[in-house]
Amino acid sequence: MKAARIFYPALLLTAIPQASAHDLQYTVTGGQAVVVKLFYADNTAFSFEAYEIYPEGEKLPVQVGRTDARGRIAFLPERAGTWRVKAISKDGHGLDFTLTTDAAATLTGSDKPVFERYGRIVVGVALILGLFGFINLYLKRKKT
Amino acid sequence: MHIPDGFIAPQMYLPLYGVAAGLWAFGAKRLSDNLDEATLPWLASLTAASFALSFLALPLPGGTSAHVTGVGLLAASFGFWNAFMAASLVFAIQALLFGDGGITTLPLNALAMGFFGSLSARGAYLFLNPIHRGAALFFAGWTGLVLPSLLIALALGAQPLMASDEKGLPLYFPFGWDITLPALLIPHALLGLGEGVLTLLGGRLIERLRRRYEHV
Repeated sequence: MKAARIFYPALLLTAIPQASAHDLQYTVTGGQAVVVKLFYADNTAFSFEAYEIYPEGEKLPVQVGRTDARGRIAFLPERAGTWRVKAISKDGHGLDFTLTTDAAATLTGSDKPVFERYGRIVVGVALILGLFGFINLYLKRKKT
Repeated sequence: MHIPDGFIAPQMYLPLYGVAAGLWAFGAKRLSDNLDEATLPWLASLTAASFALSFLALPLPGGTSAHVTGVGLLAASFGFWNAFMAASLVFAIQALLFGDGGITTLPLNALAMGFFGSLSARGAYLFLNPIHRGAALFFAGWTGLVLPSLLIALALGAQPLMASDEKGLPLYFPFGWDITLPALLIPHALLGLGEGVLTLLGGRLIERLRRRYEHV
């Protein structure tokens, strides 16, 4: 009986850590994040779509999730490095680019589109017309 | 529909590069033999217009967006091979210079939108033209957008079956046909109406302009 008086309270005490391990806790802090915003060419947000962030050269992502309603991803890198961001929508739209953070885990650079939107159109159209100009010269030469 | 790199398995894009290379070589030979100086400026202008049009994304229900391609207009106005080669040029410039659509996925984009888009558009145009010219142009535009979206949905949805890791997780595009087919077909069937109207108006305009300027 005496042994039982000692045994049962002791059993209860040993169970406390296991019970508390399943009790989900939380803290709320403010901090600096790298914010990536994804959007279509017409500024429609790439909202609620899946994304993955990988340390450069690694196969396991450090963060996966979905963009928010405004197409944003909040990323809190814990070290300096280059990070690959992959975003995929069900209809085949997507992006795959890298960004770089320094030792303070703040953004230092990222891939940028080669040309801004309208610059691209002008350059592309000029290139196509130029190519057809060469085809025209070729056809004229072929005729003579 | 411009699929970026990393979405398609090499088991698919390597054979497609072989097929596309053969078709590009044959198409270049046909263009060299058949393209005349009167058609060339029109084809150049429409190819440039097709390139510019692809930047005009239209928002669609569900938070996604899609864009017209001008492939139906190219095929109806200038024939299948001219349209295929012009569309391939547009996709190549977009992929190689601007990162719109991947380099590994270029053959899939070119074959689905350029080859089969042009083929179906030209077929619809030739079939319906004797019955009703306006309907022929409209359906050339519609089918030239919708058939490629079906092919691309099938190609994307096949990726989980083609390549996965040891845990069975897809290595490339992660969604199957149950998701890709409705996600691509429904918006493009709607957008195809816009592409059909564009092809109808553009086709009539080109016809009128060619009549006017080629007989001066």
